[in-house]
Amino acid sequence: MQFRFPVCTIVVASVLAAAIGGARAHDEKKYPDLRGQWRRVGSAEWTPAGQKPPLTPEYQAIYDAGLKDQLAGGHGTEPSYMCLPPGMPRAMLAYTQMEVVVTQDTTYVLIDHINDNRRIFTDGRDWPAEIEPSLRGYSIGKWLDEDGDGRYDALEVETRHFKGPRAYDTTGLPLHSDNQTVVKERIYFDKADPNVFYDDITTIDHALTKPWTVTRTYRRSNDRRPEWLEMNCAEGNTHVHLGNENYFIGADGLLMPAKKNQAPPDLKWFKQLKKE
Amino acid sequence: MRLEVVLIASAAALAAGGTAMAHHSFAMFDQGNPIEIAGTVVEFRYTSPHSFILVDVKGKDGASTVWNLEGPSPSILARDGMSAKSLKPGDELVLTIDPLRSGAPGGAWALIKTKFKDGKSISGQ
Repeated sequence: MQFRFPVCTIVVASVLAAAIGGARAHDEKKYPDLRGQWRRVGSAEWTPAGQKPPLTPEYQAIYDAGLKDQLAGGHGTEPSYMCLPPGMPRAMLAYTQMEVVVTQDTTYVLIDHINDNRRIFTDGRDWPAEIEPSLRGYSIGKWLDEDGDGRYDALEVETRHFKGPRAYDTTGLPLHSDNQTVVKERIYFDKADPNVFYDDITTIDHALTKPWTVTRTYRRSNDRRPEWLEMNCAEGNTHVHLGNENYFIGADGLLMPAKKNQAPPDLKWFKQLKKE
Repeated sequence: MRLEVVLIASAAALAAGGTAMAHHSFAMFDQGNPIEIAGTVVEFRYTSPHSFILVDVKGKDGASTVWNLEGPSPSILARDGMSAKSLKPGDELVLTIDPLRSGAPGGAWALIKTKFKDGKSISGQ
């Protein structure tokens, strides 16, 4: 009992010393104010209006076949209908509300949707020797003070080490199956409107004939206390993939065909019961 | 060349369908041949990633079929003034839907094309 005070004091002092010695100061004034809720401006189509995706002939044919399948009731080369996260670069379509949290070592882009969240490391690290591939990839970023006023104006990001399948949008616009994609981004802020930022997204991919840059725009909600809705793809997804076919769940919870004259799935593993 | 033009147009149309949608194409719903149905709400599922309205539709022979209609995500509906309480079982609706291409009783609903039987907006706006 008589030692409680001194022991507590030592513990607190140790914690404080460790905190002071180990932490680097995070000067918030150097970073842009990204608080609030952000939403995509414009459509959820990756290809800008009037442009044609610079796909190789091989991948153009794959894309065309996927579009035909979609018009027949399938999903073509669109992989997310079963709640697979879209990964990069598609995550930056910001299907749902987006929050950007800036810390000194990491910038977090939080888009719940189907776990579209991103982690951009800004602590000066190099690429690790081994990285487990992922749909979102591994992102390293660097803040830039381009006009030398002591405040950061832009964040440059490079993302590598992907796995698939991934597509750019719901049309199934495909990325190469070798997953050697490199995504380079330049995120910068509207000088006249603090509620707008841009992301120049350059995709380098073997399905493309050249690097492809598109610019996405995001606007901050006027609502100071916006609602952050929970997203949970498993909750309300009625699209099922069995064998090589996709089906739709009906109101009664039973499988329905998604395509005209579609055969039912193969039930060979079920013991067939004769109806009386 | 004609096929290419058709596919580019298709891609644009499919993507446009995805504007209000999220994780999948809505091309499985025949947007080129919408149909009008009238019925009674069995359940309104204000779920992510997409909402659903289950509507009991009476056929000409009096038999009823419950249609499963997929719609926008709650995050989009909320911006239009909708909530989980906007529809309740028993509400009578008139909807112009994009039906499943298979002909099964399913389809896609849109806020702008869904009204109460008396013509009022279901969002209250």
